[in-house]
Amino acid sequence: MIRFDTVTKRYPGGQDALKEVSFSIDEGEMVFLTGHSGAGKSSVLKLLSVQERPTRGSVLLGGRNVGAVRAAQIPAVRRRIGQVFQDHRLLLDRTVFDNVALPLVIAGTPRAEMERRVRAALDLVGLAARERAQPQQLSAGEQQRVGIARAIAPRPPLVIADEPTGNLDPQLAAEVMGLFVTLAQGGTTVLVASHDLHLVSRLRKRVLVLDHGRLIDDFRPTPKPEAA
Amino acid sequence: MNRRVDRAPAEAPAPRDEAPADGRARAWLDQHLYSALSSLGRLWARRGATALTVLVMGLALALPLLLALLLANLRGLGGAVSDSREVSAFLAAGASPATVAAARAAIEALPDVGAVLVRDPDEGLDELRGMAGFGAALEAIGDNPLPHVLVVSPDTDADAARIGALADAVGQVEGVDFVQYDLAWRQRLDAALALGTRLAWVAGVLLALGALLVVGNTIRLDVAARAEEIAIVQLLGGTDGFVRRPFLYAGAWYGLLAAAVALAGTWAAVWAMGGAVGRLAAAYGSVQSLAGPGLGTQFAVLAAGIVLAWLGAWAAVGRQLAQGRPR
Repeated sequence: MIRFDTVTKRYPGGQDALKEVSFSIDEGEMVFLTGHSGAGKSSVLKLLSVQERPTRGSVLLGGRNVGAVRAAQIPAVRRRIGQVFQDHRLLLDRTVFDNVALPLVIAGTPRAEMERRVRAALDLVGLAARERAQPQQLSAGEQQRVGIARAIAPRPPLVIADEPTGNLDPQLAAEVMGLFVTLAQGGTTVLVASHDLHLVSRLRKRVLVLDHGRLIDDFRPTPKPEAA
Repeated sequence: MNRRVDRAPAEAPAPRDEAPADGRARAWLDQHLYSALSSLGRLWARRGATALTVLVMGLALALPLLLALLLANLRGLGGAVSDSREVSAFLAAGASPATVAAARAAIEALPDVGAVLVRDPDEGLDELRGMAGFGAALEAIGDNPLPHVLVVSPDTDADAARIGALADAVGQVEGVDFVQYDLAWRQRLDAALALGTRLAWVAGVLLALGALLVVGNTIRLDVAARAEEIAIVQLLGGTDGFVRRPFLYAGAWYGLLAAAVALAGTWAAVWAMGGAVGRLAAAYGSVQSLAGPGLGTQFAVLAAGIVLAWLGAWAAVGRQLAQGRPR
């Protein structure tokens, strides 16, 4: 599903965000990406969603080198990735429903199908009753769940999340992480960047540890997580 | 990658990305309809600013339109003098038939002469009577004061210089009192009209560019205000076309409204000036009144307004789109 092959990302300032990072993630796997801030977690996710290009090495997604796709192909790559952001990045002037529907509208999903998928996604995150609400009427945890619903509504094969629990208290954070686990059990590949080591270790999933741009550990808990 | 278990939302085991084709077309149409209407809604929500933009752009379109209209009317006036190639030789009043015949023969012998028509004083009098305002004056004059006129039609292939030379030669003929020909002033009018047309084009291009920039700048502000939304849409896989679409529709609306304003303004100006122009034309014995823009012109103005504003919007969104490119 995902394969990083000796990927180096150097920013214009000359600082290396990633140094020869190699790893691969199977389809349906749930993996955490951890390390202190600045370790390169966000760079890994941004390379996957083609917000950035690798300086060296290749980033393969479903067998395709997304580091080298032409600009016109980037939207097609991004549509196959559900993205969750730390600050949720919802459109504050649209309802919850319209926010979750946005990727489906972008993909040109027919209306009836779109409504069905939006409701299904909201149902999964437990916000079926709030579809008419404005994002600002929701709590931080609910907003993040709307962000997750938006990411999964098009049913992408891969969901990536950058510090999805960064702004949440421990209980909400556990709830949100639980959603990702559910998602992976449904067959979706999930890659979550988080520096919340405590929470990550409790979930007993595979963990990639980055330090100053180098991959220093690839920890697989025993017993192995149930394969999807 | 399509093998999915998808067990959580029990009601929706629909296949991925395999909606029927007519559903896709319908969704595409829905998107356009939505973009068109929502962009109109945004313009309405900021109607003060919208009105200002539309007025500025409308004026920019109306000015060259008015100039072009003025020129078209002047050209129409000039076109009434269709026989401008002819050279009229006026003989001295009371010339004898022998003098007339001799003058005619002399003129016919000149180079570049096609035909010579003799108009005697009675014909001239009849013609004058037919013109507005002369009837009463002619009654007051007892005798016919008009001279014989020899109307000389040059060869059809004679150009302006040769007609000028012919007129000079006709003036030298024995018995010819004076020569009048319209070509000279017609040339001056044509030159003036050509200059005016050139001016209208220059003004048109400059003002069109101004209109484009006005809309471009307005859209640019709108784009800046919605930068976060654009960034999110790009992250979710929105193509450049998808991001541009609402702004292009907004631009098209601006252009359409501005062109409508320009046409309304032009008609208002035609109406306001119509009486004065009519009186002026009547004073010169012409029945011509000021004509407004034709149907074709009006459609052209609407189309030009839409295209200009659309281009302005296109350019304005381009910069923001570039920010979403990977580094």
